[in-house]
Amino acid sequence: MDELYIGVSGINAIDNPGPGIGVARSLKEDPDLAVNIVGLAYDAMEPGIYMDWVVDKSFILPYPSGAGEAFVERLLFIKRNHGLDVVIPNLDAELPLYIKHAAMLADHGILTFLPSMEQFRLRGKDRLLDIASKISISLPCTKIVNSLDGLLQALKEVGLPAMVKGSFYKAYKCHTVAEAVSHYHDLVAEWGYPIIVQQVVTGDEMNIVGLGDGEGNSLGLVGIKKLSVTALGKIWTGVTVKNQKMLAAVAGFIREFKWRGPFELECMVNGEEVFLIEINPRFPAWSYFATGVGLNLPSRLVRRCLGLPVPPVPDYDAGKLFIRYTYELVTDMANFQKAVTRGEAP
Amino acid sequence: MHKLSRLAINEEGFVFNPTTGDSFQVSETGLVILGKLRDGHSDEAIAQALAEKYEVSLEDAQRDVADFRASLKNLNLI
Repeated sequence: MDELYIGVSGINAIDNPGPGIGVARSLKEDPDLAVNIVGLAYDAMEPGIYMDWVVDKSFILPYPSGAGEAFVERLLFIKRNHGLDVVIPNLDAELPLYIKHAAMLADHGILTFLPSMEQFRLRGKDRLLDIASKISISLPCTKIVNSLDGLLQALKEVGLPAMVKGSFYKAYKCHTVAEAVSHYHDLVAEWGYPIIVQQVVTGDEMNIVGLGDGEGNSLGLVGIKKLSVTALGKIWTGVTVKNQKMLAAVAGFIREFKWRGPFELECMVNGEEVFLIEINPRFPAWSYFATGVGLNLPSRLVRRCLGLPVPPVPDYDAGKLFIRYTYELVTDMANFQKAVTRGEAP
Repeated sequence: MHKLSRLAINEEGFVFNPTTGDSFQVSETGLVILGKLRDGHSDEAIAQALAEKYEVSLEDAQRDVADFRASLKNLNLI
């Protein structure tokens, strides 16, 4: 097989890690894929640029803003001058551009495997009630607000403490009205309307990473429980679980909405009740966990994308432990210089 | 018993619940009780077996079984 040039973003393996390194590492571990990882970075300090055992070559991209002409042109430049067969975008902010330009990129030989724009919008926090009701799981009492008066009314109905969330990003647990108002203004300033006010639910935080084929079938699911998290709420240790109700709900999600591409579904599980908290339309930062227990989802995505054989979905064992750790590397300053001045390294 | 049958238990008494991700450690006696509960034995039969195996009174063994069952209930396993 010819070498495949796979672009992977989110190679910022920092204390709030992007998913890219886990995705790239998974691709490297498929013995039947000859993969050349193309790191798609936004900053010369993204650690993945320097992790040459995972990322073969990196390029700095312009931020995915506006109509995205410069962004797309940069991808086409990489295609022409290096090679880029498939891109796996791993950051929320770049997904709308990739979805919007997917057909054009495909015409230039750059394939993606992403949800449609409608599916992408569907998982917005203001639409979760539609999803939860269709897949028979609970949603914490949720109010969508578009004004300060609406916020105050919602807090009365939901009660305190309450979660105050941006439509796509960020969530704050608020214990007082003043706290909620402060975060409301911050979220509106940063992300606009609507704002979501949600009941705080207790239970075990369980997540699922999955891959839908776009036709209602699952290309694989792994469920985990977070055992410890960082101050930012990012998983540090976890364990695989098989919560049948949660797995069935996720299978229903893929079937009902014909989800195409990777996703992470976040739940709170309290006894027999499963609450839907959030759906992220991309691989999570912990997706290597699935690879480690035998389900290499990034590899399956690339195979599906290129029309290569996708092996049957393997089962995984519950009770496998995930432990994140820190590590350091020392390299020559020349690599940093190349990334800054030429926009590519090494 | 359905929940008990799903538990993963090793020979050292480490118990993992694949549905919830919870884990706990049971004593040697607890391991015996848990195994017999999973096999569908009655509390009385388990107490009888414990009394014979560990040479304790039937009354003590019955108390151990009742205590263990209460612990399982607290863990929402029965």
